[in-house]
Amino acid sequence: MTTTFRPRRPGGRVGGGGGGGWAPALTPRIAVRIAILGGIAMTLLGILLVRLWFLQVISGEQYAERAEGNRLRTVITEAPRGNIVDRNGNALVNNAIGENLVAQPRDLEGQRRVAVLTRLAGVIGVPAAQLIKEVGDGDDQPLEPVILARNVDPGVSQYLAERQRDFPGISLKQTYLRSYPEAATASHILGQTGRIGPNEIAAYRRKGYQGDETVGKGGIEQQYEEFLTGTPGRSVVEVDASGEPQGREYLSSVAPVPGRTIQLSIDLKTQEALEAGLADAARVTGAKGAAGVAMDPRTGEVLALGSFPTFNPEIFVKRKDKEITRINRDEDRPLLDRAIQGVYPAGSTFKPITAAAGIQGGELGVDEELESVPTITLHKQEFSNFERRGHGWVDLPTALEVSSDTFFYQVADRLWQAQDTDRRVFPLQAEAREFGLGRDTGIDLPGESPALVPDPPWKKKNFAGPDFSDFDRSWLAGDTIQLGVGQGYLLVTPVQMAVAYAAIANGGTIVSPTVAQSVRDPNGRVVQKLSAGRPTRHIEIAGLEQIRDGLHRAANGVNGTSTSVFANLPDDAKVAGKTGTAEPGDGGEDHSWFVGYAPYDDPSIVVAVVIERGGTGANAAAPVVCRTMGANLGFDGDLCGQPTVESR
Amino acid sequence: MTTIAPPRGGGISERLRSAIVGLDWILLFGVAAISVFSVFVVGKTTEDDIPGDEHFYLDRQILFTVVGALLMVVAMRINLDRLARWAWAIWGGLLGALAVVYVVGTAVKGSNRWIDLGPFNLQPSEMGKVAIAIVLAALAIDKIEDLGSARYTLYLGVVAAIPAGVVFLQPDLGTSMVYAAVLAAILFLVGVPWAHFAVAGSILAIAILGVLWILPHAGVTVLQDYQVERLTAFIGAERDTSDAGYQLDQSKTAIGSGGALGKGPDGATQANGDFIPEHHTDFIFAATSEMFGFAGGGLLILLYALVLWRGLRTMARASSQMDMLVAGAIVAMIGFQVFVNIGMTIGIMPITGIPLPLMSYGGSHTLTTLVAIGLLLGIHQRRSAVPG
Repeated sequence: MTTTFRPRRPGGRVGGGGGGGWAPALTPRIAVRIAILGGIAMTLLGILLVRLWFLQVISGEQYAERAEGNRLRTVITEAPRGNIVDRNGNALVNNAIGENLVAQPRDLEGQRRVAVLTRLAGVIGVPAAQLIKEVGDGDDQPLEPVILARNVDPGVSQYLAERQRDFPGISLKQTYLRSYPEAATASHILGQTGRIGPNEIAAYRRKGYQGDETVGKGGIEQQYEEFLTGTPGRSVVEVDASGEPQGREYLSSVAPVPGRTIQLSIDLKTQEALEAGLADAARVTGAKGAAGVAMDPRTGEVLALGSFPTFNPEIFVKRKDKEITRINRDEDRPLLDRAIQGVYPAGSTFKPITAAAGIQGGELGVDEELESVPTITLHKQEFSNFERRGHGWVDLPTALEVSSDTFFYQVADRLWQAQDTDRRVFPLQAEAREFGLGRDTGIDLPGESPALVPDPPWKKKNFAGPDFSDFDRSWLAGDTIQLGVGQGYLLVTPVQMAVAYAAIANGGTIVSPTVAQSVRDPNGRVVQKLSAGRPTRHIEIAGLEQIRDGLHRAANGVNGTSTSVFANLPDDAKVAGKTGTAEPGDGGEDHSWFVGYAPYDDPSIVVAVVIERGGTGANAAAPVVCRTMGANLGFDGDLCGQPTVESR
Repeated sequence: MTTIAPPRGGGISERLRSAIVGLDWILLFGVAAISVFSVFVVGKTTEDDIPGDEHFYLDRQILFTVVGALLMVVAMRINLDRLARWAWAIWGGLLGALAVVYVVGTAVKGSNRWIDLGPFNLQPSEMGKVAIAIVLAALAIDKIEDLGSARYTLYLGVVAAIPAGVVFLQPDLGTSMVYAAVLAAILFLVGVPWAHFAVAGSILAIAILGVLWILPHAGVTVLQDYQVERLTAFIGAERDTSDAGYQLDQSKTAIGSGGALGKGPDGATQANGDFIPEHHTDFIFAATSEMFGFAGGGLLILLYALVLWRGLRTMARASSQMDMLVAGAIVAMIGFQVFVNIGMTIGIMPITGIPLPLMSYGGSHTLTTLVAIGLLLGIHQRRSAVPG
């Protein structure tokens, strides 16, 4: 073979003549090769044309018949969604069988469509015009069934099943519906399911959804959607003219895969006690909202999590539109999960953090005594104890026992003096953040609020703009002093307080709370652990012994603020904990807090409860905590006392 | 110099004039006609694919076409002889991009071909179709003194085989075959001895036999099951129950039922009813032929013939060897994909994931093809820009 190609050289123009008297790299041999290439290309395109002619023109009718008449249909079999069970395997959510009413647009043509749908309208109580429109919308894809009604009443379905012949093209299709064996219990944890909204379609498509599925909305249903959702089965079957499958021969078939079960660390008994306690407290005090979290301080596993008011998730399954509208418009916002989304001032439950910050920085000696005076003037401003009561010279444990405010005002004042705005050193705020306040706890439920630990840069930013003066923006000594007793701008969620007190109970480990424990396959085998291996963080809590002592005395000591509630508990279930009576910013009735753990010497449960505008901590919140612990530790809830004297 | 670039500088009208002088209007017409066809069919068949967003695919395909047209104009101005000096850099860049896919790639339908760039996925192996054409043309000319020796053929073969092998392992059999087609065209045009083609052909035949038959029997898996199934489905019975057989059966039913004049955009039940798998990408020809029948499908094939004819004509008149080889490689790349893609929808070629140039939905693919067309237009312009 000779070289057909020449090495390049300047002005490499070869040949000549023709056209403009200018010919480039084209040699006769290359021309031949180009011609061969062209010949191949045109021959192959010719083959395509001939084959297309054969397919479409010669045997077109045969294929048209196949496309029109006996055709293949894709039958989609719904997969049941996974169950949600508590730590002992009690079902909280499972599936009930329901029936959807579907129409095949292809089998309902012309006059027949109007006649059948008009008849059907009377049976299911939907205007005929609406049904005709819905089926008409489905004409674009005549082979896909159109869902006319979901979860039809048994009476209707029986009526239609008996008169199948009067309703050609209409059929009942089995579907799965969420069912709640424990009714409204744990409704905030579980969340609901619903159709994918128009704004979410793109995101779900990217994850492989079609767009018409039912997905988790809120709570565990949303958080663990990937495990709970099943994979629908798809079979391709050949159907006859009436749309019924012909024989059993599947051209391809993929069986549906049911969703996985999510096992929660929630303990149903504890959950019921917490929710009943919240509801009772709200009833007695007239509170419009309340919330609580019970957690194992050793692992971060949530044992109970409740928010009041609650709602019945059944209404979303039954599509009771009136109920749904009422709930959405309710001023008390029943859908809000106050345990993770409700933000409140912490009140006196914050005091252990102030103590730890003071001892850590040396502003407060471990055994130092300060005078708990009825009223103290700091920076020309007067700060008072609850009911202007004095306690004499007290050390830290006693100050926690009696919940002295003036003791902690003095500690906070010293912490204010230790702060350095230029170098952004804020000891009290830093300690609060160490305890996990002011940020998400990382609980495995969607929508958690980070709440707020206020500091000078925050105040400057928050009060920016012409509506505020420089004075509004500046951080004052009073701001830190208020923060020292959990007031001022501080906001916390119940779950954050549970995490902070869990650290006191377990010796300084900040846990990531988890509601879900494991993923199980339909046979009950654990396929993935969810609660194990979550990030934890260890902090050194200065004065831990004194703080624990103080919290124990606050619940059991002679002058303890919540002794009236916890004094009668059995020895193996003694509680350590702190009341809080938090003044909301608007000057209304105080929020009632209690956060504590038990047994105090080997804690296995920590509970944080807040009752909105419930009054003092001992009064409303502490009894709820006591009853929740009782359900978990196995003591009688009647041992919990109900205080008669208002104490903080 | 062999390359005469359009005059630079001057006012806007001057620049505009230089951009238009010598433009291959017929090629441009063919490409525009196919693109309009594509936007229409993609938009129509995907109306119901995403509930609540009828125009999801339509909007994107329009965007891809517009951006592709802009890139095409840029590509027209590329001086290929100068670009040839960067051949190794382009080759390295291609391998680098393919390597990135392995590290951060996004798997779609079991194949790891994409780099996720937020709203869009970039598919480097598509861009590689043009890149490998430029690289092979440049290296073929660079080593032209060795032409005729086995070393020369082997050298170009290895340069193409490395990226093609990486693409094959993604796994993306179809695209690696396009690389092979580009290599074959360059070798053919540059004048490699027939004996080399015979040897390469024998090796290929043995490799195919080995991959499909001998190695699986020896217990070594080279191709995924679905690939073997797809490759062999077109040989099988009319009504095959495998997935691939189902795809082919539905595709042929769609095309056949289109008849001479088609069922119209709204009457195409096979396409709109989701019977045709991948009706907006690999099987878009089936959807087109169902809607517009032999009239539409035949017209589309003739439009491709037009594009290929203009490409061959441009090649014959190219102003440099580099231009000629690149034009030839592009013609081969487009022609190969058209034949294999349409061939698979009508059951005369195996099912491989090769898109139909300018028709199939897809960002990387549309942009790449339009860039290739831009290169062709530029080559044509450089020739014509020479005063006659």
